[in-house]
Amino acid sequence: MHPRLRLDALSVRFGGIQAVQQVSLQIAPGEIRGLIGPNGAGKTTAINAITGAVPVFSGDVFLDDTRITGLPTHAVSRLGIRRTFQHVEPFSELTLLENVLLGLSSTMNVSFAAAALHWTSARSAEKQAIEESYALLERFDLLPHAQVRAAELPFGLLKRMDLARALASRPKLLMMDEPTSGMSESEADAAIRAARELAEETGVTLLVIEHNMRVMMALAHSITVMNQGKVIAEGSPSQVQANPAVIDAYLGEESDASR
Amino acid sequence: MSSSHKTILAVGFLVLMGAAAGLGSYPVYLMSLAMINVIAAVGLNMLTGNAGQISLCHSSFMAIGAYTSTLISAHWGLPFWVSIPMGTVLAGLAGGLLGAPATRLAGIYLALATLGFLQIVQITIEELSSITGGVRGLNVPKASIAGTELSDYPKFLIIGLSCAAVIWICSNLMKSRVGREFDAVRLSPHAAQAMGLSISRIKLSAFMLSAALAGLAGGLQALLVGFIDPVEFGVSASLRHITFIVVGGMGSMGGSVLGALVLSALPEFLRPVKEYSDLIYVAILLAFLIFLPRGLITLLTSLMNRVRGIGRAAGRT
Repeated sequence: MHPRLRLDALSVRFGGIQAVQQVSLQIAPGEIRGLIGPNGAGKTTAINAITGAVPVFSGDVFLDDTRITGLPTHAVSRLGIRRTFQHVEPFSELTLLENVLLGLSSTMNVSFAAAALHWTSARSAEKQAIEESYALLERFDLLPHAQVRAAELPFGLLKRMDLARALASRPKLLMMDEPTSGMSESEADAAIRAARELAEETGVTLLVIEHNMRVMMALAHSITVMNQGKVIAEGSPSQVQANPAVIDAYLGEESDASR
Repeated sequence: MSSSHKTILAVGFLVLMGAAAGLGSYPVYLMSLAMINVIAAVGLNMLTGNAGQISLCHSSFMAIGAYTSTLISAHWGLPFWVSIPMGTVLAGLAGGLLGAPATRLAGIYLALATLGFLQIVQITIEELSSITGGVRGLNVPKASIAGTELSDYPKFLIIGLSCAAVIWICSNLMKSRVGREFDAVRLSPHAAQAMGLSISRIKLSAFMLSAALAGLAGGLQALLVGFIDPVEFGVSASLRHITFIVVGGMGSMGGSVLGALVLSALPEFLRPVKEYSDLIYVAILLAFLIFLPRGLITLLTSLMNRVRGIGRAAGRT
């Protein structure tokens, strides 16, 4: 089977620093892949390079065998790669409904003229988008807050909104940057359950960055471990956990692995 | 807004338009000017209040609209209902011309770039005096329909209808995908891009839309006043537009209308202290920025909510 996402010797440099060095990996369609590593391992930078948020120094990124290296962020997103943010990045003055509607925006086929003159095509597209957004809000238990501005809501709840917003356009690949950071234990468990159900239901491929090993063991099919910009191990959760290089990398810097 | 509200507004508007027939020509003229200001404010507010792009050259696009429509009418003899739309389109294109490089700039750099644009337009008008009349200004050909010269009241009707159309179209836009995307660019460009939205395309459309409306306002102003000169479209006019939207409420369609109407009435009250009017404008701008940064519209909505609350309480007892 062709991989959904393939990285070929991907490297990112910031000045003299090699943030990501020759990272190669393949993720199969429908797979849930964990990406772990100590702080500064280059995980978020790798995601940023895939989405075009930081320039690729060398190497290539393929989505379903289409080369997407160096495309602008919005173009990558339109091809079917969405992401969530570690710090959510809500549209703070807009309601949750409007936030999720914006997740759908690029798939809405409404011309400027149709919107300006309130044509039937624009009205029905808007109505359909609102229905879809309500369905998503319901699935993430956000319906009571649909008309509340994001700025007035707590962080854990906005994390769920971020997920709903990213999934609105039915992406092929969803990259989640620390989906449970800032959540309580029970919130994290619920979020993981939801993510797993969702992946099974919609067939979306997941690439999940996570510090919390317990969460990762429960969620991922397989795990890639990075340290200092390089891939140092890859395998099933139990294989990775027993890998001496991984233990070394974690214990050498901090004891996140034992958390 | 519910459909009953819309009906009330539409009926109120029509009654006002009709009632104005009984007024003298000076109040009709003032009301026309106020509605031109509303069109300009609506245009600027979508760019600055919604899309978050500061512009100090809104009056330059008014100038482009005013001069284009005037020159087209004067040289080619085309009627105002052709020349004003042409001025509108040309101003929109000029907005694209400025917007293309400006989409790469932010904050203070964008402010400086738009100030530079304002200077370029001012100097161009002043230096091309053989065409534009330079600093001495230009008389606008008398507008007529079917050979009858337009007096103040028909002009008022034309401006009123244009203003209503602008408000309707722009409310539609701001409530649609387009308006949400403008807001998204202001609130988090980072997230907007991740949602598949092209920041530069959205900024460019905001610049063009805003400039086109300024162009329309300029064309209508030339029609109404009958005379244009570069001073009308200088930096103090741009500052006045910014004051409209700050006083009314940034990013709010109702705010644009409210701010422009209230401040258009102001010069009438300031006549005894006319020399200080620029100073008073700036004082108002600063006072609102400090004490009521979200504008008059917030006062109005909270007042309406309270009235509604009292109504509901009365209904219960």
